[in-house]
Amino acid sequence: MNQRILAVSAYLFRSFLFSLAGLLYILLALAYYMVLFDPRQLTPDPDYYILVLGLLGLGLSFLVTLSIAARANNASHFPLIVRLPSRIEYLTAVFFSSILFASIIQFVIALIALVANGPNLDFREYLLIPPFWISGNVLFAVLSLHATDLVTAGWSRVYVFATIGLLLYLQSGLDVLSDWLSNLFNQFGNTLLATGLDALATLAFDMANLFSEGSSSALGSALSLVFWPFKAIVEAAINGHFTPLQALAPAFLMTYAALLFVLAAKFFSKKDLFLSE
Amino acid sequence: MLEILNITKRFHTLVAVDNLTLDVPQGEVLGVLGPNGAGKTTLFKLIVGFLKPDRGLIRSREGAWPTIGYKPERLLYPNHLRVHEYLNMVAAISNLPRGRIKKAVSESLERVDLTYAANKRIKECSKGMRQRLGLAQAMIGDPQLFLLDEPSNGLDPEGQAEICRQIDNLHQEGKTIVLASHQLQEVTQVCTHLVIMNQGSIHYENQMKAALAERPHTRILVNRDLSTLQSLLMHLHHDIELSDREIVLNYDAIALRPNVLRILLSNGYDIIRIEQSRVTLAEIYAAAVQ
Repeated sequence: MNQRILAVSAYLFRSFLFSLAGLLYILLALAYYMVLFDPRQLTPDPDYYILVLGLLGLGLSFLVTLSIAARANNASHFPLIVRLPSRIEYLTAVFFSSILFASIIQFVIALIALVANGPNLDFREYLLIPPFWISGNVLFAVLSLHATDLVTAGWSRVYVFATIGLLLYLQSGLDVLSDWLSNLFNQFGNTLLATGLDALATLAFDMANLFSEGSSSALGSALSLVFWPFKAIVEAAINGHFTPLQALAPAFLMTYAALLFVLAAKFFSKKDLFLSE
Repeated sequence: MLEILNITKRFHTLVAVDNLTLDVPQGEVLGVLGPNGAGKTTLFKLIVGFLKPDRGLIRSREGAWPTIGYKPERLLYPNHLRVHEYLNMVAAISNLPRGRIKKAVSESLERVDLTYAANKRIKECSKGMRQRLGLAQAMIGDPQLFLLDEPSNGLDPEGQAEICRQIDNLHQEGKTIVLASHQLQEVTQVCTHLVIMNQGSIHYENQMKAALAERPHTRILVNRDLSTLQSLLMHLHHDIELSDREIVLNYDAIALRPNVLRILLSNGYDIIRIEQSRVTLAEIYAAAVQ
């Protein structure tokens, strides 16, 4: 299996590297460096260095995966796919080649930024970088797979990104939503009280109270937990070290990535393959 | 080798493959004929697993799923690669040990007479070379089953003959081959079994020898109009057909050939030609797809 995945990964990596799109991403990363790490300006802080280059990795992982998956979704690869005992090996190769390409560019840019007027990172900060960058890159590459024609099956990409969007919306607007629902149930309770339905009115007021608790409610706690790893990693980067709890955050991100990859593999293995010609 | 049982594949309202049942015999060459849109390529894609059937199943008689060499209809390749680079990659994903890859690639190139083009970029290859490359990549790794979708499409007669030779060689080696083609001569020459598809289902299925042995007949061409003998000849046997200057003796009527000739000669007819023949694949095909 390793030989097959490596062979397909190497092929996808190489053909992307020597393509116009590959060159474009390299130039894009250099432009990003020139704008955000201009050597003529002040030496950046360690947290700036870690976060800004981390963001570069996330963006590159997402975009490179989109591009490589689009190339992999070509009918010229039919004879290759038929040789693989499982389609998931092909998907893994797409993922590997993308993450490798994005991470190499990120590493090279990070090295340039470090050598040319880079911050003085201590050992703890160096240790902070790999789990932060790698877990983020992996998660964004896997997330990107769901946006591609290669993986998407029916409305799957709409469901996946709509769910993420909904979670993000709920997390950011939970207080507003709770207030709105609380008011709604209060008004409903008053209406019921006016019509003499006291028992139902009490139930509506209870619901209004539940929602008025806002982000401290069970829903709020659950959503905070879902997005906690991202917050924890950023906080760790700003503080320059992981607390014991924050050190679990990259593992959480990798777990999300694993779950999303399993979902992508499920979609990809069950769908009809219509590669573009 | 493979059993295809009651398989159906729909694309929205179009039924591409309709409740098709087919046996792919081990070690034989199965020719799949049919007009464009008959469902041949869909059937191939179902066998290789690119498409999932809506109903029915495809299973291997041997239990383990066979290794497959697939030559798609369209000649699409990663054009930026060189011929040997592409084949190296195919070999690497065909579970060949690293030490054997180079040898397997050179053997496959040799078999399709493409060694001279090993270092050529695929985009520089002619259509004939690309067809042979398609066959070469299918051969790598010694697969048990070959699915060849129009392997000689667009080739000159020499190229078509070469493809036929290659298919024949694979058959001699005991490989199972499923061949979709529009070249009736090619199918007649290399296939041992025949399937004719139309509108997603099988309209004709037979062994090639049996198919071509169907409807034996004798044609007798004479020098002038036969209308004066029409009633006499037609009364000899119901399998006798008459046209202006030709008599066709079908099936059992063939045995009456001496009697018919005697009648013709005694009535002053000259015999121009006598042909003993059987139904052609073109006739079987035309009848099946009508």
